[in-house]
Amino acid sequence: MTDSLLAKSIDKILEKTEKEILVNLENSFSDAKQTLDDSIPKLEQEFDKIISDGKKEADKIEKQIIGSSDLEVRNKQLLTLEIAIDKVFTKALEQIANTNRSADYSNLMKTLLDESTKILSTTKVIVSTNSKDKDLVQSLLSKYPGAELSSQTINCLGGVVVKSKDGAMKFDNTLDARIQRLKPLIRKEIATKFGVGN
Amino acid sequence: MTAKGGVQYSKIAEIKGPLVVVDDVENAAFDELVEIETKEGERRLGKVLEVGNGKAIVQVFEGTTGLSISGTSAKFVGKLMEMPVSKEVLGRVFDGLGRPKDGLPDPIADKFIDINGEPMNPEQREYPKDFIQTGVSVIDGMITLVRGQKLPIFSGSGMSHNILAAQIARQANVVGTKDDFAVVFAAIGVQYSEAEYFRRSLEESGALKRSVLFLNTADDPAIERIITPRVALTVAEYLAFDLGMHVLVILTDMTNYAEALREISAAREEVPGRKGYPGYLYTDLSTIYERAGKLNGRKGSVTQVPILSMPSDDITHPIPDLTGYITEGQVVLGRDLFRQGVYPPINILMSLSRLMKDGIGAGSTREDHSEISNQVYDAYSRAQEVRALAGIVGKAGLTDIDLKYMDVGDVFEKEFLTQATDENRTIEETLTILWKIVSKLPKNEITKIKDKYVDQYYQEN
Repeated sequence: MTDSLLAKSIDKILEKTEKEILVNLENSFSDAKQTLDDSIPKLEQEFDKIISDGKKEADKIEKQIIGSSDLEVRNKQLLTLEIAIDKVFTKALEQIANTNRSADYSNLMKTLLDESTKILSTTKVIVSTNSKDKDLVQSLLSKYPGAELSSQTINCLGGVVVKSKDGAMKFDNTLDARIQRLKPLIRKEIATKFGVGN
Repeated sequence: MTAKGGVQYSKIAEIKGPLVVVDDVENAAFDELVEIETKEGERRLGKVLEVGNGKAIVQVFEGTTGLSISGTSAKFVGKLMEMPVSKEVLGRVFDGLGRPKDGLPDPIADKFIDINGEPMNPEQREYPKDFIQTGVSVIDGMITLVRGQKLPIFSGSGMSHNILAAQIARQANVVGTKDDFAVVFAAIGVQYSEAEYFRRSLEESGALKRSVLFLNTADDPAIERIITPRVALTVAEYLAFDLGMHVLVILTDMTNYAEALREISAAREEVPGRKGYPGYLYTDLSTIYERAGKLNGRKGSVTQVPILSMPSDDITHPIPDLTGYITEGQVVLGRDLFRQGVYPPINILMSLSRLMKDGIGAGSTREDHSEISNQVYDAYSRAQEVRALAGIVGKAGLTDIDLKYMDVGDVFEKEFLTQATDENRTIEETLTILWKIVSKLPKNEITKIKDKYVDQYYQEN
């Protein structure tokens, strides 16, 4: 009798405990499910953020790589072009230096002298030129009252340097100076011939 | 451009500060370019400031150190100072006078443009109304920059304005259009390390390709600084109005420019104005700032972000004061925020973009932009009042709603204002953070936003 009562009580306790455990398991399961369900949108958000951050970073790196390589290529092209322009320039200057002192050249020298005396507003000047053009300039100076040829020659392709007699004003009308002033335009012309620029 | 050169004069009457007075000069013109040649054959550039009575006053850009009255000559070139421009200037680094500083040859010029520019015909000006995304939340969200606007940054000595300037230069872009965008960056009297930082920063981010840099460092002659913003703006105008690009011009630091102007004015013995700056400082600054805008019938635009450091953080100092009269708003950096380690330390309550309203909203940014921005201004302002109150009565004496506003202030500074120097936020991301801030408040406190936007964007906690 006592044994059967005891067995019954034990069964009851076991049954109750089983129920409690099952309920707890069920609750834990639903809690876990709930937590999982809740974390899905968060995880999705996190996933999207990682993807978008990664995409941003990839875009940034792509821009960096493309930007710097484009620039490098362009800069190399500029340097190559400049070397070519320099070569053309040197060749052209050589040709100018070896030009025949013809009648055209004499007219050019006269124009340069006219221009220089006009700008200095006086013909009382000292004119310097290179050794090649010394005689030519001397012959032209008779048309400019008060003008003198300097005893010292200058190193230039052609043309003249004109100074007022008091030394206060100087006008450089050598071919070298004129070419130098026009160099930016000439560079552009040469570059255009190479198919660069307009 | 002509082959004809100018006359070289060797009668130097006086050398005074950055000025050289040349005697017996005929036919010199105001602003004419002058080549100063030293006894040793060194050449420096200058321009004519004054002519008359057979004298010409020449301002030497590279300074007069080492010049002597005997042996120095001045050649009046017969033209104004010009900047050679072409599309090739993009990706190049120049010095403060527009000479290459990157070891590459002079750009093959498409045009030679007078650096003083031509004033924009007011009748031809088009009202600026297109958004520029800087990627900096506080600027895009609260002090929006618009194409063609001039929006200065008022900073203080030692603050992070140069880092901000570089970030804007790297990240700025036009949204919703395929038009080309370029940045012209003029560093005026900056330290060598800062100049290097700007160059490296643009180079490493790949943004140098679409940028032109003019670097006048602190050890360059101060007088060169008068020219730097002008050559930069000349290039910007060419890129904008000849090539149809949208150009953002960043000029840092305009205080150094104004100081160079003061130096020349003092040397000319002009009557000084406030703090020794010349009386024409306003007019002079306007010749720079007014070179921003859009023109009717032209595709491009020039937007200016001049940066100036206010001496002693004094916003009433003549430089920020006069700048503020000309420009269309200001971005003010706050010393308190800077000390707290906030970057960018922009004090939004002192900042304003006058053209913002026309550059935001549906079609440009988002329909709720204006209202959310106003609401955040309002809430942050209230947060500051609450912080002041808490300083007196303590946090315990505050109401629940006051505490919420305090929270808004904290979130604003920590999540919205604070941004990494390499963090490029889209306008969408910026607006999302603004809504996150506003959502810290109960709905009944949101009075500046239409209900439909609250329903759509309010984030329930």
